[in-house]
Amino acid sequence: MKISQSYSSMKIVKRIAAWVTGVAAAACAVVTLVGCHKYEEFANDPYGNFDALWTAIDEHYCFFEYKDIDWEEVGQRYRAQVLPEMTNEELFDVCGQMLMELKDGHTNLISAWDVSRYWIWEQYPVNFDERIIDEFYLNFNYRQSSGIKYAIMSNNIGYMYYDDFSSGIGEGNLDNILAYLSACDGLVIDVRSNGGGYLTNVEKLVARFITEPILAGYISHKTGPGHDEFSEPYAYYFDPADDSRIKFLKPVVVLTNRSSYSATNNFASIMKSLPNVRIVGDTTGGGSGMPFTSELPNGWNVRFSACSILDPDGNETEFGTEPSDGYKVDMDEADSDAGRDTILETAFVAIDDMIAAGL
Amino acid sequence: MLAQATSATDTASTAVPIERPVNSSFTFDVGGAHILDTYLTPIKYSGLSLRLGYERLQAMKFSPFEWVSQMDAGIEYQKVKNPVGNHTMHSLMVEYTWGMMHRWHMECLPGLQLMAGGGARFRGGVIYNANNSNNPVSAKIHFSANLQGMAVYNMRLGRLPVTLRYEATLPFIGAFFSPEYGQSFYEIYLGDRGDIVHCGWWGNRFDMRNLFTVDLHFGRTSLRIGYRGQIETSYVNNLNYHFFTHSAIIGVSGEWLSLRPGKKDSDKARIISALY
Repeated sequence: MKISQSYSSMKIVKRIAAWVTGVAAAACAVVTLVGCHKYEEFANDPYGNFDALWTAIDEHYCFFEYKDIDWEEVGQRYRAQVLPEMTNEELFDVCGQMLMELKDGHTNLISAWDVSRYWIWEQYPVNFDERIIDEFYLNFNYRQSSGIKYAIMSNNIGYMYYDDFSSGIGEGNLDNILAYLSACDGLVIDVRSNGGGYLTNVEKLVARFITEPILAGYISHKTGPGHDEFSEPYAYYFDPADDSRIKFLKPVVVLTNRSSYSATNNFASIMKSLPNVRIVGDTTGGGSGMPFTSELPNGWNVRFSACSILDPDGNETEFGTEPSDGYKVDMDEADSDAGRDTILETAFVAIDDMIAAGL
Repeated sequence: MLAQATSATDTASTAVPIERPVNSSFTFDVGGAHILDTYLTPIKYSGLSLRLGYERLQAMKFSPFEWVSQMDAGIEYQKVKNPVGNHTMHSLMVEYTWGMMHRWHMECLPGLQLMAGGGARFRGGVIYNANNSNNPVSAKIHFSANLQGMAVYNMRLGRLPVTLRYEATLPFIGAFFSPEYGQSFYEIYLGDRGDIVHCGWWGNRFDMRNLFTVDLHFGRTSLRIGYRGQIETSYVNNLNYHFFTHSAIIGVSGEWLSLRPGKKDSDKARIISALY
């Protein structure tokens, strides 16, 4: 009986050993074939870092087709400028020049000493002087809450200046602001020189000017490294703020310039679709690609547009959202010298036009 | 009321009541980690791995001599850097595993037990890269069914009772979360959740955990030392994920028996240990 039990145990041991060996062999095969799926590693030298940058953009950038960019040709042209003995600063300049070919303010190379950039607003008039507003329209008499400067101007038009969508907006703060401005005949929301920030703040602000869910736009992301691998544009909607919250449903004008970029461009494109809103000023700077970040072997960061956000009509706004028809206007130098903001004055006209139209 | 239990070696008798002590251990792991998550960065990061764990083993009621249940829970933190050392990622994961194993007492080598079985596991958490803009976080959620096996050998080093254990856990199918290649979490928040849950199998995911422990029995409690190696890999939506840790373990363990008041035969009970 003892011998028989021992023999039986040996059989079990052998069976388990065979099972473990089989599983281990299968595991090793799977680890080799799947688990350790090959990924590209680049050397930390000028060529390796250049190739890592080119590849990151090649596989992730979302506007090659829209901008009709031959990235292969661009890469060859700039790679010819890379030398094995070049300094980091020289390499940075070559890489930065290559990224400027994308004409994209969301695409930057970030090192310890510099940020490469293509900022479209540097090529256009500023179209904004905060001092003129503060001194001649607000008489330095304004309130501030949640990063929003606001006041009632002498013509009973409300004014809000929001300079950064990264500044958090509290619902209670918005209630206070809009309650204060509720008696105004119209409202000017000035987002000139607002370079963007959080899209959640766009949603929070838009929700105060609608009474029903609205189509806010479409979003499409890359599904693979190919230049044409994109998801179907996904329609997304904004809901109005809760009934308990204060809304402003009278005529509204949004003031924009070329420095109204990224999330601000998104805000302008959504507000433009509302019937009681006009966009006045210059075309926004665009920046409709949501930026992602990657990095190079030498530790430099690279930021690039990764997801395309379309406006409610399904149009790209990467190069900007245009003002409403008839309201494209630049600051006039003579006006500025006289303490007048040409764009704000046009906004008053737009509000009068909307009131006259019964909006 | 708790009391330390001792092992039984004689054969079972239906007339003798059976007690099943709980083998509990609290452990602390420290070691190294290597993380590659191409949603965050194409660069492999390396650094420190820490883990706090609790494990519970007990012979199962329906067949205590042949079946053992295991519960293992842990929380772990990794702080890893890129090769040039100017960027840091933080990983925080929680894990809960439950399984049951059949065991064989090897008569050919007294003190040796072999176990094999299966179970279920949840593992989830986040990896955070502070340098990134709209892809700062990679969320990890993974439910799996596991194969698991264990070899336990009770022996003496001189006069010191020692328990050696090797355990391998191998998830073979499950479900896990992964965003699409260039999809932001903002888009998922907006409602686009089309292709973010995946069936995990050895074609797109391979995970394994290897555990080796030595329990040194000093009286009522035991000192546990050992090694834990974790492998997690996946390739889905063109995103590559590798997560490797190698850690040394130190902890305490012991077997605890509940002596219920009014239970007359506890002092005569046959004690069937899950491990020792």
